[in-house]
Amino acid sequence: MARPSPGLMFILPAILILMMLIAYPIVYTLILSAVDAHGNFTIKNYANVLKPYVTRQAFQNLIVYVGGSIVFQVILGTAAALLLNRKFWGRGVVRSITLIPWVVPGIVAATTWAWMFHTEFGIINYMLAGAHIIPGPIGWLTNPNTVMPVLVAINVWKLFPFVAIMVLAGLQAIPAELYEAAKIDGATVWDEIVQITLPQVRPVLVAVTLLLVIWGLNAITLIYAITQGGPANLSLITPIQIYQLAFVSFQFNAAAALSVLFFIVAAIIVAIYIKVIPSSAETAR
Amino acid sequence: MKLDKLAGGVAVSTLMLVPSVAMAGDVVWWTPNWSQERAQKLADDFHKANPDINIKLQITTSNGLPQQVMTALQSGSGPDIIEVQHGWVQGYAQSDLVLPLDDTIQDKADYNKAVIAEDTYDGKLYAIPYRIECTALIYNMDDYLKAGLDPANPPQTWDDWMAASKKMTTGGVYGMAITGGGEFGNTITRALPLVWMNGGDIISADGKKAVINSPEAVAAIKFYTDFYTNKVSPDSTLQNDGVANRQLFIAGKVASYLTGQYDIAPIAQAAPNLKIGAFMTPHPAGKQTAGILNGWSFVIPKDAQNPTDAKKFLQFLNTKDNQGYFTDTFPARVSALDLPRFQDPTLKPFAGMLPYGRPTPNTPHWVQISQAMFNGIQRILSGQQDPQAAMDQANDEIQALLDSD
Repeated sequence: MARPSPGLMFILPAILILMMLIAYPIVYTLILSAVDAHGNFTIKNYANVLKPYVTRQAFQNLIVYVGGSIVFQVILGTAAALLLNRKFWGRGVVRSITLIPWVVPGIVAATTWAWMFHTEFGIINYMLAGAHIIPGPIGWLTNPNTVMPVLVAINVWKLFPFVAIMVLAGLQAIPAELYEAAKIDGATVWDEIVQITLPQVRPVLVAVTLLLVIWGLNAITLIYAITQGGPANLSLITPIQIYQLAFVSFQFNAAAALSVLFFIVAAIIVAIYIKVIPSSAETAR
Repeated sequence: MKLDKLAGGVAVSTLMLVPSVAMAGDVVWWTPNWSQERAQKLADDFHKANPDINIKLQITTSNGLPQQVMTALQSGSGPDIIEVQHGWVQGYAQSDLVLPLDDTIQDKADYNKAVIAEDTYDGKLYAIPYRIECTALIYNMDDYLKAGLDPANPPQTWDDWMAASKKMTTGGVYGMAITGGGEFGNTITRALPLVWMNGGDIISADGKKAVINSPEAVAAIKFYTDFYTNKVSPDSTLQNDGVANRQLFIAGKVASYLTGQYDIAPIAQAAPNLKIGAFMTPHPAGKQTAGILNGWSFVIPKDAQNPTDAKKFLQFLNTKDNQGYFTDTFPARVSALDLPRFQDPTLKPFAGMLPYGRPTPNTPHWVQISQAMFNGIQRILSGQQDPQAAMDQANDEIQALLDSD
């Protein structure tokens, strides 16, 4: 009988810990979602969680939040990277300053922005009203028309440096000969960007966007710290709804059911993304 | 040799894993941070009279307290005495997590009847209340007099109240601030009594039917949100909870607001020149006022290590003088209201509300039900729906919760 390979023995402790920390909670959540409070098997949890309007509202808000954030994060991040790639005096300092929004802890940033956007005490209303740009205080975080755009804007501010840094790294890898050849052929700056730079950084953008999608679907810090999903569920997203079901209302079975559904939906979104985007990159080559 | 060392090591580490057991004669008491000094003094007094019993204080904060207490009770490794809000007791009693205290309470007839009923489940008393409070109105005396109102004749009816608040809304000051944001308990404490006063309720008495969209309830909710619609409450109402209103009051931006007497001391500290007045919450013409009877009780967990000494300490804590000393607001014992501490004229309206105080409905889904009512109120304030439509939607959500068992 052959001894188990030494490699297997070495990784066994790590595998055991991962099983406990990852596999066990997943299995337990699946079980929780399929039983009621007394332990009997039931699918009522899924029905109870899909019926209320709030679930649909939270999911719609999530799509708006993630979709809107990613579009502007990528655009702003790429633009910032292109600018930071040029040589100018003080470039190092500007690059460091650009990183600050990403580095500031989420809660600190969220609380500060919440105070800045406050209807009564906020500095944004104070400055805009003082400069007579708006007639009176605007309820940025309480008005149905402004609350999601404001949250998207804060999220863009928070994460665009990440895109900028990643794209900047990708830009360094573009061979200079391509630009020289283009200049000889009479390309303008805009042509250079569209025809050379963007296609070359496409793999970086694909990877970055995938990360943003995965993070975005799970991020609750900003919204929870600023509006807690309110007012009246106007800014509620599915992860916050799960948290409220579990730890505010103590409905662990319903929260587990919603978690399972959300996991399936998120997995589908990511799978579609992985299938669609890189294959079009291949055909572009 | 190696085996001995191994066995010794296992034995030592097992002993270290066992949580430190409180020795006989120790009573562990979870008490909130806002009354820490008074708790320490009472603990020291008790220890002097009973040298063989040690009271160990562990300080709690209000943030996350319900979850903390629930975890301690369910894990079986909690303290001997916990201070909890009255509304939480029914849930603990139903899940058999706390001991009955009929053998511990003394002079039961001296206690406020409504709160004893709230702490009773299935005929047995599961908590000893020591603190009760109701909200009333606090106002800025200067703004009040400037508006030509008479402190000896405060508004009694809803119409008088709205008129007085409009009169005080002048010169950049808002007459009457309501809450519309923050943690939902703030708004439920202020809005639900208005529903009760008008003859409505949030759920039926048998707990099976949602009734928040009845004409009386909708009229009451409309009256509450009208303070914001009539611009008597600040623009930031949707973001303001009780603490925010207190800060606006201290800054002189708000002339009156609904709150409990626990705000009087912080206001006096932050704005010593602010003259405070108070009056009982006005009621609809021809009807009586009402309030939610909030407050705190002592419970002993079922798995407490030292229930005998804990019960002895509870009897000491709940004498008339000690209850009167310890409470932040009012004592649960009616006779303790005669103590000199409660004779301050500013406190009279708050004491006057106590007989009209009612407990919140006893239902397992109370958190989600009150959240649904709060969301409805926020929809009205943000202009998304009118009061009837908002309460109809809240009614459907609450009925779904009541039916989901």
